[in-house]
Amino acid sequence: MSFYIIFGTVALSCLVVKGLFLCFIPAKRLPSFFEKTLRYIPGSALSALIAPAIIYTKAGGDFTVSFSRTLAGGLAFIVAMRSQNIFITIFSGLAMLWAFSWIMTS
Amino acid sequence: MRVTTKEFIRGGRAIAPTLIGVIPFAVVFGFAMKNALFTGLQSSFFSLSLLAGASQLAAVQLYASETPAFIIVLTAVIINLRYSMYSLSIQPVLRDKPYMLRLFASFIITDQSYAFTMAEYEKNPGNHFLPSFFMGASILIVISWEAGILLGYNLGAVIPATHFLDFVIPLIFMSLLIPHLGGRDRQVASITGGLSSVILVPLLPLQLGLLAAIIIGIGSGIAFSMIQEQREGIKA
Repeated sequence: MSFYIIFGTVALSCLVVKGLFLCFIPAKRLPSFFEKTLRYIPGSALSALIAPAIIYTKAGGDFTVSFSRTLAGGLAFIVAMRSQNIFITIFSGLAMLWAFSWIMTS
Repeated sequence: MRVTTKEFIRGGRAIAPTLIGVIPFAVVFGFAMKNALFTGLQSSFFSLSLLAGASQLAAVQLYASETPAFIIVLTAVIINLRYSMYSLSIQPVLRDKPYMLRLFASFIITDQSYAFTMAEYEKNPGNHFLPSFFMGASILIVISWEAGILLGYNLGAVIPATHFLDFVIPLIFMSLLIPHLGGRDRQVASITGGLSSVILVPLLPLQLGLLAAIIIGIGSGIAFSMIQEQREGIKA
């Protein structure tokens, strides 16, 4: 049950955000501070999600630095910048992680 | 053919090339939900009740790591905040439409359909049929998104889960991050956000570190831009 409450709340609150000035609050322009904040949200939020997910593995609740993941992730980032392609980024990243983990365990 | 139908189709055609990016993302999202042990009903509920790619994927990732509800909701909302800006800037196109239609538009709007509709608006602001263009573009994205999720979820049932899958989500986020790195100030915000996250996530409980890192990143971007402006002010 709690699943539906959590994800229902996510859905509803995101709908309010998506239609904020079209359906919920009448406004002609954004407050300038809000506009400034918006400029930095995607970069900051995505990096904050990416970095720990690349660097750590979470075995049994403990964060441990994974060298193969960090290396594969760093190289995949260069691939993402160069290719600007979601497909190439996913496949090259996975291939490098697979290769590095294989090298390190053998 | 009626003009509205024509515009609807034109919108779909215009946006079609972006499906190359949308569909793999959707497949991975479906896969991730299967991997996070969502039931079919739960996955359908979440993929049909909201259309917000990155924040949905983040919500699944956080839910899987047993994050408390308020952090899941807050993170999703923060990642989604850019849409409030779209809702403001698309006003001239949709303002005169009935409320329910605007609400529906708010539900189906995506980065892509927003961008293509506004590009069309720039070219010809007098086009009264732009709402149909917007609908055509948005609905094609929605259908492809849902189809991709369905495919990914079912693939997830066939392909056994590997520990590599939790590596796919950050890879997707990476390719979404690249377009937001234009400008020194935004690079500062991203690097600070990432570094603080690496430090704070293991330190603070309940994924509070993630939220703190995002805020620190945003703050540093704002601070950097203010310093930049001041310096330019001195030079001039």
